[in-house]
Amino acid sequence: MKAGAIRQALILITLALLPALGQAVHFRNKVPWQSRLLASEVVSVEQARSWGDSVMWVDARPAQEFESDHVPGAILLNEDSWNELLPQFLGQWSPDNRVVVYCSAQSCNAAAEVARRLREEAHLRDNEGKNCVFVLEGGWEEWLKTRK
Amino acid sequence: MPLHSRFEVRCWAFDVCFREMDLFRRNILYRMIGLIVGGIFIYAGVTKVMDPIGFARDIDNYHMLPWPLSVRLAFYLPWLEVFSGVAVLCGLFYRGGLLILNALISIFIIASIVAKARGLDITCGCFGHASKYLSFAWHLVLDFILLAAVAFLWVSDRRTASGALAPQVSRGAEKEL
Repeated sequence: MKAGAIRQALILITLALLPALGQAVHFRNKVPWQSRLLASEVVSVEQARSWGDSVMWVDARPAQEFESDHVPGAILLNEDSWNELLPQFLGQWSPDNRVVVYCSAQSCNAAAEVARRLREEAHLRDNEGKNCVFVLEGGWEEWLKTRK
Repeated sequence: MPLHSRFEVRCWAFDVCFREMDLFRRNILYRMIGLIVGGIFIYAGVTKVMDPIGFARDIDNYHMLPWPLSVRLAFYLPWLEVFSGVAVLCGLFYRGGLLILNALISIFIIASIVAKARGLDITCGCFGHASKYLSFAWHLVLDFILLAAVAFLWVSDRRTASGALAPQVSRGAEKEL
């Protein structure tokens, strides 16, 4: 009986592969297969600093962490209070700005998620229609290391 | 035929009849639970099939697997859920489907507890992004209910190894007779 169940499970496991492969082939050009973020969506601290005043820093961490310390001039925008905080952010943003989102690199993917929502839900694009929302490589911890 | 013999025959007939009704009711109960469990997993799988990237992000939030593996699993696991759900729903490859669902829920519960213990913010449930607003406690309660239902079906199933939908009533009645 056990052997029968295992044999059936193996058949199901194999059958499920077929549509999964088909779907993966269909999406092959739309999926970031190697890393969660595309290389064009990530920016280093040095590069973000080199953009000067055109950068809008967005802190995607919880409010308590933002209040205890944050990048100077950063705006709080996290998923916990997305609906309340997004209008404030959009009020300050213009297509000339590049947006750099960061969170704590150790424990969350909040920055990637906030950046995605800014692109897909708030439709943030620069004047040329290109992506202007980036995720800070290494997050808050990396920024702290290079703080002068 | 003496009176007491006729009475015994009638009692025996009633006894068999009641036992068959009892088996029939139990069979209905198994089928109902099977329909609910199968339906839940088909729904859960379809919601994730429709958003594989979102599901890949959910898996990645657990910080247990590298992204390349998470994204590949995100394309595969929802289909496995759908196929297993259909197997339990239809009765074809029934025990195989139950075995897979048992394994999937158990792994998911363990991963959720480990991730929570590591202080990670988990927004992924059985229904992927659709259940992201449920609290962790509710996630666990629902997962344990599902696990109990699948385990109940596994333990109570008396099907043959082929998984054919042979009616339990007649097999049970055969034994009784």
